Amino acid sequence: MSTVAPIRVAIAEDSAVLRDGLVQLLVDRGFEVTDAVADPESLTSAVARFCPDVAVVDIRMPPTFTDEGLRAAIRLREDHEGLGVLVFSQYIETRYAAQLLAHDATGVGYLLKDRVADVADFVDAIRRVACGGTALDPEVVRQLLGASKKGDSLSGLTPREREVLALMAEGRSNTAIAQALVVSDGAVEKHVANIFAKLDLPVSQSSHRRVLAVLRYLES
Amino acid sequence: MTAGSPAVGRALGAPDGSSRRRLHSMLDTVVRAPSTHTIARTPFTRRSLTELGFVVVSSFFAGIGMAFVAGLMALGVALAVTFIGLSALALGIRGARGFARLHRNLARGLLDEIIPEPDAFVARGGFLGWLQSALRDRVGWRAAAYIALKVPMSVAYVFFGFSLWWDAFACLVNPWVHDFNGTPAVFGVMRTVFTPGYLSLGSSGFPLYLGVELTGVALVFLAPWVVHLLVSVDKMLMRSLLGPDPVSLRVRTLEHQRTHTLDASAATLRRIERDLHDGTQAQLVALAMRLGLVKAKLDSGEALEVEELRTLVDEAHRGAKEAIVELRDLARGIHPPALDTGLEAALATLAARSTVPTDLSFTLFDRPTPAIEAIAYFCVAELLANVAQHASASRASIRCARNGDWLRLVVRDDGVGGAQLTRLGSTSSGLAGLVDRVRSVDGHLDIASPPHGPTVVTVDLPMHA
Repeated sequence: MSTVAPIRVAIAEDSAVLRDGLVQLLVDRGFEVTDAVADPESLTSAVARFCPDVAVVDIRMPPTFTDEGLRAAIRLREDHEGLGVLVFSQYIETRYAAQLLAHDATGVGYLLKDRVADVADFVDAIRRVACGGTALDPEVVRQLLGASKKGDSLSGLTPREREVLALMAEGRSNTAIAQALVVSDGAVEKHVANIFAKLDLPVSQSSHRRVLAVLRYLES
Repeated sequence: MTAGSPAVGRALGAPDGSSRRRLHSMLDTVVRAPSTHTIARTPFTRRSLTELGFVVVSSFFAGIGMAFVAGLMALGVALAVTFIGLSALALGIRGARGFARLHRNLARGLLDEIIPEPDAFVARGGFLGWLQSALRDRVGWRAAAYIALKVPMSVAYVFFGFSLWWDAFACLVNPWVHDFNGTPAVFGVMRTVFTPGYLSLGSSGFPLYLGVELTGVALVFLAPWVVHLLVSVDKMLMRSLLGPDPVSLRVRTLEHQRTHTLDASAATLRRIERDLHDGTQAQLVALAMRLGLVKAKLDSGEALEVEELRTLVDEAHRGAKEAIVELRDLARGIHPPALDTGLEAALATLAARSTVPTDLSFTLFDRPTPAIEAIAYFCVAELLANVAQHASASRASIRCARNGDWLRLVVRDDGVGGAQLTRLGSTSSGLAGLVDRVRSVDGHLDIASPPHGPTVVTVDLPMHA
């Protein structure tokens, strides 16, 4: 792997089989796992002790198996500036995304658990979140696009522009979007400019600001 | 039930037998020969006094009630073809409810007999709506029936209840006020005895008065029992006619049961979701993750380390097999396939699979409904699992037989005993869930498990639910 210091990760996941698997995967991909715990309290103390770059948190954990992981994640973000938080769960609830992104979209991720199967994408998402970027599950974006009251103005976009918008909302950079769609960077830039013009959004190069702009637009 | 466990057994959803018990105790007091002590005391108890009061007051109101209701109803029938007739009839029925409340209050105040309030009268809008609702008011009609039956009841009250007390009083007092001359001013039943009776035939003087006085004493001890008997009959009438309509009561019970069943099935769904989420789904995600890792390694073009890949594939393989087992167990927990061929085969499978040697005695010749079969199956499965885990038993037995309209399951083991719902419940949340399931069909579950055993768990389920 690279010579730079590895990204340090804390894991909170109550299912032992999945927790072990995650540790194995992240270590294999060159991350340093500072701690792997099974409940929110242990995560809070683990983060305070080891100061990881990013915390990967299951939303549903003991004791009530509802959203204590999410609440712990939101608290951690408030208490530890610069800590990236990636929450993941078996189901996507747009409400959770809204809670997570309530203040800003830097260093936030929300993924379906299934995404760990695509190792490269998952690892990429953790890297983005650790570096202050955004990683939203395509499912979150799909739900946001579907639930948006701005359906009329979205219908003004070409199919390609809609694809670009969706990838942008996930938190991908122009380069990443270009790779995903197998087009040139320039083409993506043109699409992005068109989208911002059509939706009347302020132009921004910083990818997480773009995410926020798009999300605000969709939610409003 | 053995010592130490009745409280547990009772708490497990035994049906409410209080009304039946009340009836029995009432009949017992009337029918069973009372002891000398009771006989001596009875005339001077509060009960005798209040019952006499009830006899007098309720007979008085029975007269008024009958006059009112019968009057309006007669008018109603006479003018039945007109609206006035129907209105009179409806008014009579509405009035009957009022008298019913009066009688309920009397019963509560004087007899300590609490008769539940029926549902309040609900009228539809408009005069026609009111008329229709009143004429169809089952509670009102039943109250009217009570008022009609109360007439012969009151006649009996006056001539057999009140009159005995009056005669007792008259017999006791008469010799003194009449200076041992003349005849006692008897009334009611005693009148037929005394007037043409042997006591008045030629006898006079001291023997007659002694006889009258002794009769009075005897009547004092007899009267409260006659009154009590009559009042008991009246109580039965009131309970069946002045309480809530049995139809609406049944509806209420069914509504309650339905809520309970819905809650139970919601809890079951939640449990299944939890099992899927925490078990199978997590297994599959971990499996996909390992395969993803293998795929990433194969795609990377780096030199492959076969041992590392083998470990990953091994783990993935094991995870897949575990997921299959978990899914199968889960599916069996939702509906046991063994039940398709009948309860006997399913229980035989359970008995055969149990780690403790288990005998099955099955004498059920007609099949209960599928829901009951499933509950019976889960009960036995859970109980056998508990036997295997906790009882240290060398043998167990399952008995499944018909008991009237009920299916009775008895699971017995010769283990260490001391089983309690709480202890079993803490080790397997299944048993607590089982009690809920049994209750949801109005069944009950008893545990008898003295220290040193044996443990006998009896489950009664309705054949059809």
